[in-house]
Amino acid sequence: MNGILNWILWLPIIGMVGVILTPKAKENVIRLVTLVTTSITLLLSVLLYLKFDTSTPDMQFVVKVPWIAQFHINYFLGIDGITMLMTFLNALLFFICTLSSWTIHKNVKAYFALLLMLQSTVFGVFFSLDFFLFYVYWEVMLLPMFFLIGIWGGENREYAAIKFFLYTFFGSIFMLVGIIALYYATGKGPDSFNILAHQGGKFVNETVSIFGHTFSFEHIFFWFMFLGFAIKVPVFPFHTWLPHAHVQAPTAVSVILAGVLLKMGTYGFLRIAFPIFPKAAVDSSTIIAILGLISVIYGAFCAMAQDDVKKLVAYSSVSHMGFVMLGLSAMTTQGVNGAVLQMFNHGTSTAMMFLLIGILYERSHHRWIVKPDGSKGYGGLSTKLPKYTTVFIIGMFASLGLPGLSGFISEALIFLGIYQKFTTITVIAVVGLLIGAAYLLWMFKRMFFGEVNPETEDYEDMNAREVFYMLPLCICVIVFGIFPSPLLNVMKASVGHLVELMAKF
Amino acid sequence: MIQQLFGYLGYYIPEIVCVVLMTSLLVAESTVKDEHANRGKIIGFALAGLTICLGFLFANLGEEPKIIFHNAITIDPFSTLIKIIMVMGTMGAIFLSYSSKDIYSNLKSEFAIMAVGVLIGGMLLASSNNMLTLYLGIETLSILSYVMSSFKRDESTSTEAGLKYALYGGLSAGVALFGMSHLYGALGSIQFGEMITKLPGLEGLNLAVVLISFVLFFVGIGYKISLFPFHMWTPDVYQGSPIPVTAFFAIVPKMAGLAALIRISMIFFSEVKILTVSWVGLMLAISALTMTVGNVTAIGQTSVKRLLAFSSIGHVGLMILGVVVLNDVGIRAILFYGIAYMFMTLIAFYVTSHLSDMYGNDSSEVFKGLIYKHPLMAIIMAGVLFSLAGMPPFSGFVAKFNIFSVIIEKKMYGIAIVAAINSVIALYYYVKLAKTMIFSQADGEVKVSGFTGGHQAVIVAMFIPVLLLGIFWEKVMILSGNATIFIK
Repeated sequence: MNGILNWILWLPIIGMVGVILTPKAKENVIRLVTLVTTSITLLLSVLLYLKFDTSTPDMQFVVKVPWIAQFHINYFLGIDGITMLMTFLNALLFFICTLSSWTIHKNVKAYFALLLMLQSTVFGVFFSLDFFLFYVYWEVMLLPMFFLIGIWGGENREYAAIKFFLYTFFGSIFMLVGIIALYYATGKGPDSFNILAHQGGKFVNETVSIFGHTFSFEHIFFWFMFLGFAIKVPVFPFHTWLPHAHVQAPTAVSVILAGVLLKMGTYGFLRIAFPIFPKAAVDSSTIIAILGLISVIYGAFCAMAQDDVKKLVAYSSVSHMGFVMLGLSAMTTQGVNGAVLQMFNHGTSTAMMFLLIGILYERSHHRWIVKPDGSKGYGGLSTKLPKYTTVFIIGMFASLGLPGLSGFISEALIFLGIYQKFTTITVIAVVGLLIGAAYLLWMFKRMFFGEVNPETEDYEDMNAREVFYMLPLCICVIVFGIFPSPLLNVMKASVGHLVELMAKF
Repeated sequence: MIQQLFGYLGYYIPEIVCVVLMTSLLVAESTVKDEHANRGKIIGFALAGLTICLGFLFANLGEEPKIIFHNAITIDPFSTLIKIIMVMGTMGAIFLSYSSKDIYSNLKSEFAIMAVGVLIGGMLLASSNNMLTLYLGIETLSILSYVMSSFKRDESTSTEAGLKYALYGGLSAGVALFGMSHLYGALGSIQFGEMITKLPGLEGLNLAVVLISFVLFFVGIGYKISLFPFHMWTPDVYQGSPIPVTAFFAIVPKMAGLAALIRISMIFFSEVKILTVSWVGLMLAISALTMTVGNVTAIGQTSVKRLLAFSSIGHVGLMILGVVVLNDVGIRAILFYGIAYMFMTLIAFYVTSHLSDMYGNDSSEVFKGLIYKHPLMAIIMAGVLFSLAGMPPFSGFVAKFNIFSVIIEKKMYGIAIVAAINSVIALYYYVKLAKTMIFSQADGEVKVSGFTGGHQAVIVAMFIPVLLLGIFWEKVMILSGNATIFIK
């Protein structure tokens, strides 16, 4: 059983090699190879879930092989409850994205090869328990992403791709400085790249001197790491790359970006920034909460102002990820549970939204709610496209947090978690929910109700393939909305462990 | 006495091989009748000679450090590894010159002769153990370089490059010699070993003279490795020179200069406190300025040769941080960086050379849509650009990681932040070039012609180390670590 993480991690790479070896003209074979690879990965991740022991916060399915023995760098993989959810989410979304990418016709071979490479690197980030390995995956992940946005993206794709690349790289280079500082702070011993060994506030009393000023080691490197992860989440004011990247990226890449890549940022807080620098995290929790709050409110207002429906959903991601930051800043059981659950639920609901927008885009070739010349982009879609409208309603209501659908539970848990610690912030954040409902419903009204726009007359409703790949997400959103315990149970021990650790500071 | 000298020659075989190679190339070049038809043989001969030299160097790598020729020359693993990098760089440049249209076909064998000559100078510089051999090394290296940079006789840019190089070079060598003479005056010797024994006792005026002389002396080396503020010549010379020459300049003189800088720093500045403090301060400031100026100026460049020139300034700025820490791990980091940098630079110039031969210029426009014209070339070039930017899983990342790690070990966080910001700036211009190659559509349906199987094999063979040293770098790191053994 121990090799299963290796299989999940390297299977996409094997698939990638398969894609590369397939002749360029055989596009359907390439698609099938990708589909088979991602399906097996999904099955393996389900198997992983079934074998997962929910009673312990320890790392499971651990693989540890020396890589660069001289520097004590290991090929060190393992998962706990939080990673388990992310693994499943990643496997699921890539499977769905493969199906949704069936309509890509430009350089099919390169597209699917890069998609599979991206999947492997994302798994790598979530599985790595060695800092060096983590950093390598964190950075390598940028390469397929850069090309996917830059080659298959919209009109302004080059700008978006470079902006995405530079922002993330800027954050991660500071993270690298932090990683090396940790390596020396632990005395270059056998565990100095081991993420787990650093956890628990071991650096509380250390100091550093930068440009002649003395700082607390914890605080400085917490903020270095914070920069790396906050850009990825993205937390206000580092969010400006996100709308560009989303609007320009092809549908599947948007789904992956919003669905899993953003979660890597919050995952970084959960696995690295908080447990390794607990004192600094507790000290800074108010700042994190305020930044989260600004993301919630500001993201929601920005979303309301958009005429481009994809940009609207992109800003709504900023807003929803702000809730995750709020939950994390609480550092209570409910708060962190809510945050992790929100990571998963946002992954499914926002993936639905981006996929649906992609489906509509394939028919209309534009994404305007209101076109730049003032005319309506859509209108009355509900009369012509019943299946599409139904799925859209499910996705939208999950996104705005209607009770009974998945978004509600996670947001409720987050509010429960932070209310005692940051009452005012909670009250203002609830307004964010309200704005969220407003912009989503307003968008819905303008696109689906009212007079039928003559341009939309000949749109076809969702075909079987589209229904098929939307189905698992609908099920996730509804089932986990009513019955979230399968998710909560998996992460309970790990979250409990983290909260316990944080409570000491 | 004579016997002893002959005994020393045993350790000096690599250099002797190079000297014999250079002279026999000279003879071959002047006796061969149809030079155009036989240039392949001459270049093949040069490459074979350098391979033999490389073999002797590898054999020497494990040897104990030795001082030969009455304290004039040090043969230690450090200088041997530097020489290996230089010989490989020379081989790459000579190979490149064979197909490059930038080197006129009647000058191809001259290129090989000159390159081997510069290499001999570089080898002398890398193992110099007194001021005299050091100066001889610098001059041998420089004078032939001036000629090489003006190889394109009928182009004004190349002539300008040669003249500029010669003027700057002559001036800085003069300043360095001036500094050296004062050092001799203050310390009473030109032998490094004897000079350091006098250092601890210095005070007052003598100390001031020594410090200033070292700074003057440093100008000579700083010029060779184009540190700020002696970097002004680099872009013009790199741009004006034929591409194989530029590739050669980016590797051989740089590595030789770095070797000299490392040796001087380690010998003179790691023991006496006051010297250490002032030297480290100076080097920190110069490093920060060098990389910032190099990287920031690189952003606006449209000529790829010029861009690579500025990027090389940025890289050297980062590399000399390994000198600042004045310890073995610092040297190890530089040596690893040097090995990685050599392969990356060769590939970058190889691709640029081919495209510039095809289109007649080296602006980034010629890279447009390369992925559609020649996918292999574009993918490898993109890999090299990401490697130069310090992205994993390429060797450039490991090189950067090591430099960062040696400075952070010394808790120099300030410079680490400067270096971090610089690598973001560097990423920008590399990515911009990668973007031009891969995202832009090609103008017209032109295919890259003439990039035959042989070229592809060479470029792939050079790319393997770029990738491999990014993933399994332990062996080479140990090799570099073993090569930090010095004679003081």
